[in-house]
Amino acid sequence: MDIQFKEVGYAYKGFKELYHAIKNINLTIDEDGEFIAVIGQTGSGKSTLVQHLNALMRPTSGKINILGTELPSKKKIKVNHLRQKVGLVFQFPEYQLFEINILKDVEFGPSNFKETKPHALEYAKEALNIVGIDESLYEESPFRISGGQMRRVAIAGILAMKPHILVLDEPTRGLDPQGKDDMMDMFYDIHKKENKTIVMISHDMDVVAKYAKRIIVLDKGQIVFDGPKENLFTHKDFDKFHLDYPTPMKVLNHLHKTLGYPKKLVLTNEALLKHLREVAK
Amino acid sequence: MNIKIGQYIAGDSILHKLDPRIKIMSMILLIIAIFLVPINIELKNIISMGLLFVFSLSIVYLSGIPLGKVLQGLKAIVFLMTFTFIIQLFTIQPTDEPTLMDAPMTLGLISMIALVLLTIFYHYMKTKIKWRITWFFIYVVLIFVVQWLIRMYVPMYDFGFSLDYNFKIFPSGLIRGGFIFLRIIAVMVIASLLTYTTSTIELNDGLESLMKPLRIIKIPTYIFSMMISLTLRSIPTLLVETDKIMKAQTSRGADFNESTLRQKIGQIIALLIPVFVISFDRADDLSNAMEARGYIIGEPRTKLDVYKINYKDIIILSVVILIIAGLLVTRFAI
Repeated sequence: MDIQFKEVGYAYKGFKELYHAIKNINLTIDEDGEFIAVIGQTGSGKSTLVQHLNALMRPTSGKINILGTELPSKKKIKVNHLRQKVGLVFQFPEYQLFEINILKDVEFGPSNFKETKPHALEYAKEALNIVGIDESLYEESPFRISGGQMRRVAIAGILAMKPHILVLDEPTRGLDPQGKDDMMDMFYDIHKKENKTIVMISHDMDVVAKYAKRIIVLDKGQIVFDGPKENLFTHKDFDKFHLDYPTPMKVLNHLHKTLGYPKKLVLTNEALLKHLREVAK
Repeated sequence: MNIKIGQYIAGDSILHKLDPRIKIMSMILLIIAIFLVPINIELKNIISMGLLFVFSLSIVYLSGIPLGKVLQGLKAIVFLMTFTFIIQLFTIQPTDEPTLMDAPMTLGLISMIALVLLTIFYHYMKTKIKWRITWFFIYVVLIFVVQWLIRMYVPMYDFGFSLDYNFKIFPSGLIRGGFIFLRIIAVMVIASLLTYTTSTIELNDGLESLMKPLRIIKIPTYIFSMMISLTLRSIPTLLVETDKIMKAQTSRGADFNESTLRQKIGQIIALLIPVFVISFDRADDLSNAMEARGYIIGEPRTKLDVYKINYKDIIILSVVILIIAGLLVTRFAI
């Protein structure tokens, strides 16, 4: 089972002509074991694309198959169950909190999907444990905790639904560097432990280079690159993608220009250090 | 979102360039003028109503906005207008006038069935016909034609139960119905023209400056105008935020389309509370941003646009005043 996009396009009516948010998208995402980063400039259609993954938006052309459900289908079908399987965490998810206490808010997702009360409670506690919210906070109002904690609670609200695939829209936006690392390590743990597929939108090339396995680059609504991250940064058209290099690459490129150090693909600080040591020898 | 009234269409016409104060005043005066025409069968009133109607349509031409677009904005009230028109026809039944039309009709089991079939046919055809408003009018006429046909040509028309009546149309009923019909259209056209050709900023400036005299009796008009402009400003923002929250909650399984009524009530809370929290947050941010830029309630401020009344404004206003004066003269003097 996987998610398949065939010639998918989404267009909406602008002031005069049709505006294509995404077009000609062909894509396959496996149910297990992928860590995909979707990158591209603002307005390149990243958010539109990921909202198709859990049937929040329906394509205006082409076909999507989400874990065995064909969209758009000729019959009127219910799609809500898909949203349990593909959990989508929006940008600034802390704004979706509304319940009187944290535990209840996290239970909202599972109980919408007809989980029994004890089950929902169990899942909620599990999810809160994963995101690192202490048990003493369970009865606290979600509006009285810090911004970082609010985001964690909101993410727990999605994790408690036990989605097969986790989709994240800029999960680290607006967090401090430490919070950013903690957040990404948490998602990486989930990915490692449960072999869960994670699809993530990000503008932070360091995060992308460090965690993602596969990268999808969108430009003006079309996929211009889809493949392993190692191939992206050495791609001959990289400059045309309007992307930034991750910091280790930038450092090495600078050293290459000023001191003539040999170029190499380095994605992490460790790899950069290793490379520099080798050069120094 | 399909809100037609209250939408601003940018343009370069005389109406767009008109001073907003003059525009608001002229609109109010014109609406008063339309209501000044007494409704009766006298020829002078019919003429003045007709002239006012033509006048309001001709200022649409002045604005450069296609007449079709303005009339489209009236779609929402077509049903209401038709309903009032028919009610007028039925209720105005003077005894001293000759009838224009006197048709026997029946409302019984058979005609009920026929009307239901007609309605089904109407809804079926509605999706295939381009001229929906015309089709709606035809449908309304057909409702009565069907009742008449059954009374005249179906021998067993009173099978089961039936209510027979004579549908009489009197000239004064027709005139009254037509008057009200034209009046509603003219008022709606003028009011929507104001919003079509005036941006919210201009509208607000105009209102503020028109309300200035109220300051003499210590009414803080600057607060009202700031409130109006902030409210208008926050509508699109709130719509965007609501949409976001709705999607986020849908992702958590609260599907607003696929749930029962009981579930929906719970889900509305999940929508309302975040939107509330966001609007308070935004309001807080906005007030800080305003204070940071030196806004103090009631202190005099300079304006981005300074309006000067020029000869065009005076011409338009005098035309409107002439219309009102003419109406008053014909009404009371002659």
